[in-house]
Amino acid sequence: MTPQIPADWQPRMMKLIAELSNVKAETIKPEHRLREDLGMDSVSSLELISMLAEEFGLDITVEEAAHVATVKGAFELALAHLEKRKS
Amino acid sequence: MSPVAAQTPEAFSAMVVDSVRAFAKSELNAQAIDRVGAIPPRVLTGLRGLGIFGLTLPAEYGGLGGELPLATRVIEALAESDRSVATTVGLHLGLGTRALVRYGRPDLQRALVPRLASGECIAAFATTEPQAGSDLSRLGTRIEKRGDELSLTGEKAYVTNGALAGVLTVTARSDEGSGLDRGMAMVVVPADAAGLVRGSEERKLGLRGSSTTGFHLDNVCVPEASMLGTPSTGSAQLEHTLSWGRTLLSAGCLGAATSALRRARDHAALRRQFGRTLDQQPVVRGQLAHSAALVAAMGALVEVTANQYSDAALHRWSLSAKVFCSEQASSVIDTAVQLHGAGGYLEDTGLPLLLRDIRVTRIFEGANDVLLTLAGTLELHSPMAMAQVPPASEPFVRSLRRSVTRLRRELGVRAFQRPALLHEIGVAVMWRDAMLAMCLAGASVEARQLLEAEALHAVHLAGKTPYPSDTVDAVLRALS
Repeated sequence: MTPQIPADWQPRMMKLIAELSNVKAETIKPEHRLREDLGMDSVSSLELISMLAEEFGLDITVEEAAHVATVKGAFELALAHLEKRKS
Repeated sequence: MSPVAAQTPEAFSAMVVDSVRAFAKSELNAQAIDRVGAIPPRVLTGLRGLGIFGLTLPAEYGGLGGELPLATRVIEALAESDRSVATTVGLHLGLGTRALVRYGRPDLQRALVPRLASGECIAAFATTEPQAGSDLSRLGTRIEKRGDELSLTGEKAYVTNGALAGVLTVTARSDEGSGLDRGMAMVVVPADAAGLVRGSEERKLGLRGSSTTGFHLDNVCVPEASMLGTPSTGSAQLEHTLSWGRTLLSAGCLGAATSALRRARDHAALRRQFGRTLDQQPVVRGQLAHSAALVAAMGALVEVTANQYSDAALHRWSLSAKVFCSEQASSVIDTAVQLHGAGGYLEDTGLPLLLRDIRVTRIFEGANDVLLTLAGTLELHSPMAMAQVPPASEPFVRSLRRSVTRLRRELGVRAFQRPALLHEIGVAVMWRDAMLAMCLAGASVEARQLLEAEALHAVHLAGKTPYPSDTVDAVLRALS
């Protein structure tokens, strides 16, 4: 299941993923793998997390970003940092 | 020439390079090729006779079975005499056939490689599009699967070897399905395929003997087996293919710079001003030595790059080699023009042709600024380890690592959203790799020392933007 992130975030995140992967936003699913399913490489995967961090003002390390493999993983990382920011 | 396996690799390489150099010296007239805008048929026939078009193609299909290091030496030798011929051959051996040799299915190789190896058929590589240059993620050419065939539709621009090509490797995107079926892929297309229309010859600043055309693809159908690898792994396969292309391009730049340096040295030894020859004057001596050191660094980078056998390492080294060699070849040629005085501006010296030919090397096969930003991104992603770094190059590696560590700490993953910082890291990576390569390849210590100040300056600037955005905005506002 998609993690609970603010309602307005999800479309923005999907738009970023669609832009980077060149895949239509409406066809992207949380379980899609960034590399195998969306055709991204290690650099564009990092760029995605980097864009998310910039867009939502999150302090994500390069090491954390390097471990993200799926769309859901990107959502979860963003959510974890959002919660950290709130606490 | 017999295939590489029949002799020691060293003896074979020396024989091939000597033959090519002798052929180039006697048969290539760069100014005539530039004037006519084409390579004479007898030159192509001569190159076929030497087996050069099959240099890196498998021996089992009629090639010579050579590897990338040998190909770089051949392209360097050709480029010393003529860059159009070097570009035509280099494109055929690198971007044109590498993907087919590495990823093509056996049946496809069996059908195509013998004619490519003999040079009866020349290869081209079609990737750039009117709306997608360095940003390959925007490729508009699409592959659709139709039964057991693939249909390609799109527009390709600036295709080197366009008019000569019998076969093209076309990059395109598949949006169908998921997983293995989607992504970027390379597809081999015969130039006489129905629906493939070749554009007219482009008029260029330099490399006028090398053909450049566009191609229009309108539902061009080829067998499914013409796809090289799979779309989901297409990016990695394209990266490997581009690495070969960049390395061969670097070798061409080395050949061009070597030719310019030789002309500058010979002219400086003869030309007398203020009572002595130019090569006895301190300023000129310094300029000649600097050019010679740059050529030594280029040679070391090409050698070290060509000898990388892991795809990831070849990719990273080829970025530095391509940018360094194209930038510094331009500098060496420009110095040669300057040392020739007014004569350097005259076509008869051959120097204006070198200047015109070299300019595009900073643009094609990845614009240098884009490649520098990519090199910076890769370094930030995984910084070079200190292990096994020769002591003489430690200051460069260590200084750059410090900058990268600082950026990772201060900005985290957001550092990847700072292209200006990444670009400056890329410049530092390029100089670090040049210094490292000179150590690894055993280049002269004095030549390396001559370049150390420039290299240190670049690594000290790593991760600092040279143009603060507020100042940039103000200057640009004043333009309007």
